Amino acid sequence: MSGAVEYFQYVLAPQMLIGLVLGVAVILVALGLTIIFGLLDVINMSHGEFYALGAFIAVALGTIGLPFWLLLILVPLVMLPVGYIVERGLIQRVFHTGERHVTTLLLTFGLGLVLEDTFGLVFGPNPYKPDIPIAGGVEAFGIFLPSYRLFLIVIGGAIIAAVAFMVYRTRLGAMVRAAAYDRHMAASLGVPVQHVYAGAFAFGVALAGLAGVLLAPIYSVFPTMGRDFILIAFTVVIVGGMGSIAGVVVAGLLLTQVQAIVSLYISPVWSDPIVFGIMVAMLMVRPQGLFGRLGHG
Amino acid sequence: MRASHVLVGILVTASLIFAAVGAAMNDTFYLRLATEALIYAGLALSVDILLGYTGLLSLGQALFFGMGAYLSALVLMIVPSFWAAFAATAIVSAIAGLVGGFIVNRVRGAYFALITFGMAQIAAKVVYNTRALGASDGLIGVPVININLGIASISSASPAAFFIFVLSLIVIFYVLSAYLLDTPFGRLLIALRANENRVQFLGYRTMTARLAAYVIAAMIAALSGALYPMLRGFVSPELLFFATSGNAVITVVTGGAGTLVGALYGSLLLTLLKSVVGSYTEHHLIVIGLLFMGAVVFLPKGLMGVVRPAIERMLARETKP
Repeated sequence: MSGAVEYFQYVLAPQMLIGLVLGVAVILVALGLTIIFGLLDVINMSHGEFYALGAFIAVALGTIGLPFWLLLILVPLVMLPVGYIVERGLIQRVFHTGERHVTTLLLTFGLGLVLEDTFGLVFGPNPYKPDIPIAGGVEAFGIFLPSYRLFLIVIGGAIIAAVAFMVYRTRLGAMVRAAAYDRHMAASLGVPVQHVYAGAFAFGVALAGLAGVLLAPIYSVFPTMGRDFILIAFTVVIVGGMGSIAGVVVAGLLLTQVQAIVSLYISPVWSDPIVFGIMVAMLMVRPQGLFGRLGHG
Repeated sequence: MRASHVLVGILVTASLIFAAVGAAMNDTFYLRLATEALIYAGLALSVDILLGYTGLLSLGQALFFGMGAYLSALVLMIVPSFWAAFAATAIVSAIAGLVGGFIVNRVRGAYFALITFGMAQIAAKVVYNTRALGASDGLIGVPVININLGIASISSASPAAFFIFVLSLIVIFYVLSAYLLDTPFGRLLIALRANENRVQFLGYRTMTARLAAYVIAAMIAALSGALYPMLRGFVSPELLFFATSGNAVITVVTGGAGTLVGALYGSLLLTLLKSVVGSYTEHHLIVIGLLFMGAVVFLPKGLMGVVRPAIERMLARETKP
């Protein structure tokens, strides 16, 4: 009996906790992605690069001596106008073409390339590793967890709850959902649809930037950091249902646990193919994902 | 005479002159680079059949390209025969295209793009981690082969001869695709792009047409990939990565989607740009990315959208004096 408890304590539980931290991180990135898709019907291929942009801004501002806690607020605020300009200046240009999915996907893909190479140009190819803002660890029930990761789980949960509250319980969120459901009807009722679109894009991008700041101390900062992360974020959005906030949370927790368990029992090498396999299977069987779209119930 | 055919004629003539000059100057580097550009042009051609005609954006065409390259390398290492490698690739890619087609054609639009992307990622990760396929190192030591053409024999080690051989194959792929897209089947594909629901009401089975387009594209991508180990003597997992698929999409969109010939010019343009910009800075992606974004926003028909109408006007002037 004690063998089973020890196994749980030293093998299974730490692995699942690592999975949970990754899950919260993935959800933070995927939230912006799903809001942008749910409202604008745009697949933002440059989302991973906005995540990296947030991390790089944090690194740059960190070197001039700004504390981490200030960056946590400052970086998303800096990202908001960036996202707003990208939506108004770039995405709107191809938004009204017949094949919106394809053209916006291509445009944001190009933007991602440019951003990624710019990071390499400005910051060089070597990774930066910001200091962990909270040192030490916590031990509960014999399971050890670094304090910063615990903080990440707590603040990640708070951010997710705050976003869900904003979308489903505020007047602003109601406007967003109305515009997602029927943009013409929303516009005729006086919702400034253009600004809601650009604002939602900016909001999604700012969330990605916030995730970049939060995760930089753990996963370190380098130009292609967005690329590895965006794959799993896309998978989460697809499995959860494009545009669904609940879907992102459920799928994010589920898939990262699958990854953690697969790494433990089969091999870390197989965790990615299996997770992508789940995505492909989901697209085949139920392309709309686990939950419905934003604004559709 | 169509403007696209004139453009292909110009391309072939220029390539032959280039090969002659290259051979006279005993050049290897530029001839090999141009051969690689042509091989990637074949991949881009397959993307254009899907994107430009059928309206399906494949973000995972590297799956078939890389599969062809690995298969060809494996066959060549056992039997150093071009035709054995070519036939094996053709058969396997047709089957893989059919199986893959059944999976991906269940969905449309953005979901199609993402499912092709996901499938290619799975394949890339599996190959990357399979020891038998060389894992992250890829397969090295693919032998030099002599391609027996009945009347003559071409060595893959001869840069000029192999360049002309690859050129002829890619032009054959182009001619076959252009012919096919001109038949009623091709019209059906174009109709699918315009409005798939209406095509169904006209009594056509859209699934069959989409599947056929997917299999043809898979075969062209795989057969182009099969040429890669003959040129470079190795294959690496990078051939399966998203960068390869992404580059093919950039090539098609910059060259001009839905023109076929745009894929050929796009590939040459991009390779040229990479080597020119690459000689000044390693950050050529900024330039290519900006060019690509510019093409998406300002030139929906790409480079060919500008060049082809000019040629068409010239041709029209000649026919009515």
